[in-house]
Amino acid sequence: MPLSLYYFLSITAVNILMSWALYVPYRVTQLHFITIANMMISGYLAGYLVLHAHVPFIWALLIGFAVGGIIGFIVSLFIGDAPTFSVVIVGFTSIYITRTIVENLPIIGGTMGMFGLPNIGGNPGTHRWIILCILYGLVILCGFLIYRFDHSSIGRAASAVFVDKELASSLGIDIKKLGMLVQTFSCTLAGGVGVLYGFIYRSFHLDFFGFALIGIFMTVLFVGGYSTQWGPLITAPILYGLPLFFPTEVQSWRIVIYGLLLILVLELKPEGFITRKFVHSLGLSFSRKRAKEIYSKEEEQ
Amino acid sequence: MKRQIVALLLILVAVSFGFSQTKVVVNEWRIPFLNCLTGPIAAIGEFLQWGANYAANEINAAGGIAGKPVRVIPVDTGNDPQKGSVEMARIVKDSLVAMGPVPEPVILAAMPIAVENQMMSITATTSYEYAVQFFPWTVSWFPPTLDRLPALVIGWAKQFSDLKQVVQFIEPYGPWPGMAEAHSKALAGLNIKELKAIEVPTDAVTFGPLVVRALDQKPDGIILVCNAEKAAKIIKELKSRGWTKMNHILVFSSADDAQLYSTGGADLNGVQVYNYLNLEVSNPRWDKFKAAFAKDHNGQMPFSLSPNYYDALYMIKEAIEKTGVTGDPKKLKEERKKIADYCANVKGFQGLLYEWDMKDGVPTNKPSYIFEIQNGVKQFVLEVRP
Repeated sequence: MPLSLYYFLSITAVNILMSWALYVPYRVTQLHFITIANMMISGYLAGYLVLHAHVPFIWALLIGFAVGGIIGFIVSLFIGDAPTFSVVIVGFTSIYITRTIVENLPIIGGTMGMFGLPNIGGNPGTHRWIILCILYGLVILCGFLIYRFDHSSIGRAASAVFVDKELASSLGIDIKKLGMLVQTFSCTLAGGVGVLYGFIYRSFHLDFFGFALIGIFMTVLFVGGYSTQWGPLITAPILYGLPLFFPTEVQSWRIVIYGLLLILVLELKPEGFITRKFVHSLGLSFSRKRAKEIYSKEEEQ
Repeated sequence: MKRQIVALLLILVAVSFGFSQTKVVVNEWRIPFLNCLTGPIAAIGEFLQWGANYAANEINAAGGIAGKPVRVIPVDTGNDPQKGSVEMARIVKDSLVAMGPVPEPVILAAMPIAVENQMMSITATTSYEYAVQFFPWTVSWFPPTLDRLPALVIGWAKQFSDLKQVVQFIEPYGPWPGMAEAHSKALAGLNIKELKAIEVPTDAVTFGPLVVRALDQKPDGIILVCNAEKAAKIIKELKSRGWTKMNHILVFSSADDAQLYSTGGADLNGVQVYNYLNLEVSNPRWDKFKAAFAKDHNGQMPFSLSPNYYDALYMIKEAIEKTGVTGDPKKLKEERKKIADYCANVKGFQGLLYEWDMKDGVPTNKPSYIFEIQNGVKQFVLEVRP
């Protein structure tokens, strides 16, 4: 596989998964940026375990997921039902705190970063295939779980919370428990993705987990559409991939293009390109077509 | 007679084969430069690119590399590891050699790709501690931090007999805490007491409280290990709080760029700064470079890292010409190695400012300097050689 394709596919998968990690809590109006801190914590921890404690990668990855989930759960005990703004503040603060801790821990490279993570499977080719399989396995698994969540009674409860918290409460929805559930899920996911993110580059640096990541994930989520899981899935490869084909002169304007796109979408299509209505009507048109096909086959018989 | 003719023919064939082997097959040498042309350090990226382009123009005007023109291809990473890695993955497919990446987060993400594909990429702006991780597929532009910085601090401190206690302002970014450690080593060697360091947060905007904390410890000297803008603001704050011994302030090399002077203004008068770039050195190439730089940068003199990629391109030129690299895609692996091996141990390399040698990828005899700032101009104080 061409190297550039590998990096494109793997980073796209990271962007999809992390946009979903933002999408799920946003179903109950929470912008949960603590996920970036979770990526950092689990990533560095797994890097340390593999590099210095010689723990097998798969165990380090599982520990990364678990640590992300535990942190997410503990934090959610306090902010499970907090309003959007408070959750955003907690997220930003946790990124700062985590950065400061990492900066002051020479054992994990401090401000210099962590170098020389080994190839999983012993050689670069196998490493790349393993990373891709895990990432796209996760995309399928999480996509399925989120789909089930969206189409379950919990998903409908989340939609009610999104529209009106008080109304949702009066309908008997436990907003805090729901918030805790989605926050823990997104932090667990972020923990594992953080480990994989570092192993794509085979190194860790504090600036891998900077505020630029929030910008990328937010653009993917809001341009794609925050009301369905399909938005990030479709937008992540386009937003990340298209600029790579821009000529050099245009590439310098990439950030400006992202910004303009975000402003335009928020202004013209506030729900993003892929809305629930769009998905619903697409589903209907497919089912009509399918119904017609079945009907015509039956008639032929 | 027949035998002699056959032998002569064989010699001719062998000679012509030899010539064809070293014949350059490319029409143009394309050297990608993974630079940071947008984003928070785009200003630095601009003058790094300027230096590389200037070298390319100069080389082309003098006949190119082995008779073929060279073109530096700017590849913007925007300080984004995601983009840097994809771009490096593209470059390693068929490039002979590259320059960059810039800066450290992109180096960490992209250099493992160059190493894996055994392609040299010269990271001429980072410290030895980063570069060494990717040897032999890069070279370090600087000797190890702990070897080169103590001598500079010793040189600075020895000027003042009243220097008994020193405090460092340290911004936790990349190799900077390591550089501060090297300063500490020098101070310990001189029996100068090092006071509790003041951490300068990366996102700091006000410096009053930090300066008060430093002054409370009653230091005689101050070393600033933070970015240019922060260093300038700390100096202004120190001055406004009564600090008068301006030459007892030493600014480290990474802070010696345009923002230091534009923000610090006249408050910098007397402050000392160490660097690898000596504007007072005069030779025809360097003088021409300075004049051209000033012309393109509103009269400003070259900043600390300006010549690095100029020299890097010349080093690549020398490697290609001296090792007979042809640019033949079929010999890509072999020729990449030739360039890397040559650069790692080049002797008597004619840099823009001075001549230097490399040993196993590390420069052995590059000088560094201490200057005193007066009215925005750096005045030479002393030179330190390893």
